[in-house]
Amino acid sequence: MIRVAAVGDVHLGVDTRGTLRPSYESIAEHADLLLLAGDLTRLGTVAEGEVVADEFAELDVPVVAVLGNHDHQSDAEDKIAALLADRGITVLEGSGTVIDVDGTRIGIAGAKGFGGGFAGKCGHAFGEREMKAFIHHTEDVAEQLRTALLGLSADVRVALTHYSPSADTLRGEPPEIFPFLGSYLLAEAIDDSSVDLAVHGHAHYGSEAGTTAGGVRVRNVAQPVIQAAYRVYTLEPVSTVPE
Amino acid sequence: MNVPQYDVAALRRALAEDPRTAELGVHVRIRGDQLFLSGDVACEQRRAAIAEVVTEHTDGMVLHNEVHIVRAEPPTEQEDLR
Repeated sequence: MIRVAAVGDVHLGVDTRGTLRPSYESIAEHADLLLLAGDLTRLGTVAEGEVVADEFAELDVPVVAVLGNHDHQSDAEDKIAALLADRGITVLEGSGTVIDVDGTRIGIAGAKGFGGGFAGKCGHAFGEREMKAFIHHTEDVAEQLRTALLGLSADVRVALTHYSPSADTLRGEPPEIFPFLGSYLLAEAIDDSSVDLAVHGHAHYGSEAGTTAGGVRVRNVAQPVIQAAYRVYTLEPVSTVPE
Repeated sequence: MNVPQYDVAALRRALAEDPRTAELGVHVRIRGDQLFLSGDVACEQRRAAIAEVVTEHTDGMVLHNEVHIVRAEPPTEQEDLR
């Protein structure tokens, strides 16, 4: 059994330094790894990135993160990713990693994701170059996610994004803003890749539980949704599920 | 012309774009001369900053700051997805 802890949208800043760390000191009692689903900072500055590193570095479990839109606000996303990596936090952007938990390989592929909307109610790459750029960005990150997921050699697979792959977990948000909260293109990549769980954040007023159209379980772990330091989900490799 | 819907939009834009707040998830409602704010933020200072920014953009309205501080204690249970 793998115990996956996850949280997103912690929005750390210099004004919240040290506030989260106490809740993670005992995480190894509850989980085997921790996933951070983006929006780790508020303004996306390097100073805020350093707060994130101080809060999550050197925990007793591996920490794997993607960045979110807030982490891009100051055009310092590459610096933030680098400083988190320097502190031992794995940052994914169209890439994957495999962690061995007592002989079981859990593979995580991650990407920020982007918007565009959901099947039948979405934008298209047509018209103004700004509109085409918007949708092409989503297409690009979805394809990177698909490639990263398919490249995982693992017993259990998790997709980690900031934006949502499912409208299910946006319940509670105004439907008019769904195209800014996620894209079905992310779900298509997930459904093509034998994924056991998809984890995202971004939708503060959304719902925790949903599925992709292909039946993969999706969990929105935005901290305003889960109202906790993290959620824990238990997974099992298919080959070891008792009959 | 004073149109409450435009006032709400202007306030939400200010809360998102002002670096003192950078909050995209605060709901704003205007009912008569009553202004209600709701949502979750990470700490008390950010709750106060939201009120500060909103007050700068409004005049003569009664502010009800119903924004909460998000809870961040370790969970007491896990969800079995096996």
